[in-house]
Amino acid sequence: MSDIAALFLSAGKNIETVLDGETVHAKILHDVSLDGRYIEGWVYVTPTRVIVTLGDQVTKEMPITAAKSYKTLGLIGSGQLEADVDGTPIILARFNLRQMPLYANAVKFLNKVASGAETPFYTEVEERTCPKCGRIYPDESRICPACINRRQVVKRLMKMAFPHWKLIFVVTLLFWLRAGLNLINPQLFRIFIDEVVAPGQADVRLFVFYISLITLLGPVGQSVCDMTRSLVVTRLSAQLGQDLRNMVYCKLQALSLNYVSKRKTGDLMNRVNNDTGTIQSFIQQQLVSVINDGLMLIGIGTILFITNWQMALMVLVPAPLVMFIMRRAWSTFDRRYHRQWRLSDRTNSLLQDILSGMRVVKAFGQEKREIERFTRYSKRWADVTAANERFYNTFFPLLGFLMGTGSYLLLWRGGVEIWQGEMTLGGLVQYSTYAGMIWGPLRNFTFMPRWFSQAMTAAERVFEILDEHPDVDDKPNAKRVKIAGRVQLEHVYFGYRSYEPVLLDICVDVAEGEMIGLVGHSGAGKSTFINLVCRFYDPDEGRILIDGMDVRDIQQSDLRRQIGVVLQEPFLFSGSIYENIAYAKPDATASEIIRAAKIANAHDFIMRFRDGYDTKVGERGQRLSGGERQRISIARAILHDPRILILDEATASVDTETEQLIQDALAKLVKNRTTFAIAHRLSTLRNANRLFVFEKGKIVEMGTHEDLYNQGGIYRKLVDAQMDLFRMRETSLSAVKE
Amino acid sequence: MSTNLPDALAEYAEIVFLAPEKCKFSMTAGGFLALEYGEDKFPVVSAYRSFPLTLGDKYISIRDDKEKEIGIIVDLADFSSDQANLVRAELERRYFTPVVETVVKMKEEFGYIYWEVITDRGPRRFTSRGQHDSIVPVSDTRILILDVDGNRFDVPDVRLLDAKSAKLLESLM
Repeated sequence: MSDIAALFLSAGKNIETVLDGETVHAKILHDVSLDGRYIEGWVYVTPTRVIVTLGDQVTKEMPITAAKSYKTLGLIGSGQLEADVDGTPIILARFNLRQMPLYANAVKFLNKVASGAETPFYTEVEERTCPKCGRIYPDESRICPACINRRQVVKRLMKMAFPHWKLIFVVTLLFWLRAGLNLINPQLFRIFIDEVVAPGQADVRLFVFYISLITLLGPVGQSVCDMTRSLVVTRLSAQLGQDLRNMVYCKLQALSLNYVSKRKTGDLMNRVNNDTGTIQSFIQQQLVSVINDGLMLIGIGTILFITNWQMALMVLVPAPLVMFIMRRAWSTFDRRYHRQWRLSDRTNSLLQDILSGMRVVKAFGQEKREIERFTRYSKRWADVTAANERFYNTFFPLLGFLMGTGSYLLLWRGGVEIWQGEMTLGGLVQYSTYAGMIWGPLRNFTFMPRWFSQAMTAAERVFEILDEHPDVDDKPNAKRVKIAGRVQLEHVYFGYRSYEPVLLDICVDVAEGEMIGLVGHSGAGKSTFINLVCRFYDPDEGRILIDGMDVRDIQQSDLRRQIGVVLQEPFLFSGSIYENIAYAKPDATASEIIRAAKIANAHDFIMRFRDGYDTKVGERGQRLSGGERQRISIARAILHDPRILILDEATASVDTETEQLIQDALAKLVKNRTTFAIAHRLSTLRNANRLFVFEKGKIVEMGTHEDLYNQGGIYRKLVDAQMDLFRMRETSLSAVKE
Repeated sequence: MSTNLPDALAEYAEIVFLAPEKCKFSMTAGGFLALEYGEDKFPVVSAYRSFPLTLGDKYISIRDDKEKEIGIIVDLADFSSDQANLVRAELERRYFTPVVETVVKMKEEFGYIYWEVITDRGPRRFTSRGQHDSIVPVSDTRILILDVDGNRFDVPDVRLLDAKSAKLLESLM
């Protein structure tokens, strides 16, 4: 206890006094008090001491060596730093989870010093705030979303459109033509009224000429122009949409498993299809009308003001008010439609969830409940959509009315001017036609906020993926190599979060062609070990060597091509059995495929199918049993001819008889290949050259089955437990038979 | 305790329910919870909620320093107030979840939401992912907000917030 009391000796003193000029390795925020309030305190780590403060007042101080060990503990919503003083754990400081990596880093140093080793203080934690605005980077990304603005989004979209400049040029020409046609028509009308059909004029030829001209430049010309334009624009937007979709898809393929597995399939599908679709339709429809309307506005505005600026002002009297209301409406629209989008997204995800889990729903007879659940979601979506439409359809007619008030003023003023002889009848008709034409584009501009914000949100979401950095990246000088199969792990530490280590100090050396069985309770680190060998993740510390070469120096695609995986639930793509076996080697000949299937003990059952190797398998190979799918995936692995083979519970989900066939197939497959096999049924690992026994992230036993069994350690216990289980099953089986 | 499990299975699911009168919780000098249960002494124990979101003070699993379950507290209300408060303090530590009282600012940008809130533990700024992952609807009126680091914020009843805060949150629900 006195040791603990010693912690508080300097309590209340100023930190500078207590530090007394000693170097500070780290000053880490500790922002939660022991009784759970937000505070501003700090943990100072010096070469010899740990000092905890509240503001600049010291609350605890201890020599690092006063504790046996230190650790961080991630709790729910907060974390804490603990010290073990003579077997008594002490909470030194609490903090929000953002600080966790900083503390985890400091603890490595503290533990080394506590154990008497001399060590420098490494800072391995990356800066997480944007240097421009000080906000944290969300997640692992190095992009500050706040410092990217919409203008840049538009710029990026335009950059993407640049390769299609020829089409864009044609479209622009058509836009000018269309605006010109629109503007010329009222002019023709004025001449027609004032000069062709005016009292005293009866030139039939002129009459016919003008009517033809008006028709030709009006309805006919405009239609032809519109048609051509929409054809060209559709082509342009389809190409742009495809570009975007491809970019997103390629990026998703490049991103690590970590990124993809963190997100829902439905969400990623949305980004690939819907968001790029939204951008595409924005370009195709809305952007077109915006440009068109913009040109019209400028053209008509100029004409109106030049002809009669007083009347032009009258027309535009309500404009400021309209603009003001529209500006206010922007954020409301943004919010409302965002919500609608979110609900539709959620309804979609739910639907996908239920459909993929249909078997379970039916097996438990929960159809009714699922229908209710879906109805509830879908009703909410419908309600919000209806409310949004109501808002939209009330708001805009009112706004339209407001805009129209200008035209009444115009009639009044125009009438007076005709009486005074300052304006002709044709002039007024022309003027009010122009004035009428200005509201269309203006009204359309009020739709803009919605279109624009929809498209921008979609673009933001697409760019978010495009900007994501793969956390397992190829080095620029990564090499392509032919692998022989030696695998070494040197002091490898790894955690899916750096402060929750899953693998601790793993050191192994596996010879070329050796078969290794990975044994241990679930969660002990076996699958993580395999994930690291496949380089789905990189280790936090230490390195992994293949044929003596750091895996980070080998091109990922090249590495994976030489690693084969057979999983517990083999995934077959929609397509034929042939295509599935040939997946890793699309140019394989038919005889190669059949040979692979024969080795995998799959040929005979495939031949029993009516369509043989051309038999289609569903999205998850619905029409095949687990054992059949497994053998197809083994055939795939055989054809793939990998140097390193991974068997992850390959026989777990099949019956004993099929298991024999698969075991037999696997035995042929593993020959001369470095193999890592995880299996719950330990008997299936008898053939392994060596077994690695995992416990809590460490390899605790290593050796052959016999050695380990005789050693009487953890492996012995596991085997005995399984034997007991096996015997129990036998007994109950014979009991049932009797 | 009556359960709805078929009787034949009941023997496989032995649950030790901690008798309030046999429990003596105390706080260690290091800030941890200790328990004397009858004859047994546990120098460090931790408390886990079985239903953290729905039945906060009920079905609390008390575990020793190896995370082995000692037993379950059916309801903290059955304990004397100072004993219950010791366990509550431990629960508070494990489940640090400030309650949002006011949403001062909420800005959604590029798929992330930037928050400025006042909680029962003090004011706070944080960033959350703007997707389903970060806004966990617990019920029709209650949400849990997870920030990018895994910190949690509770909004027990959106209807009880002031109009401005409620409006800001509404768009997410």
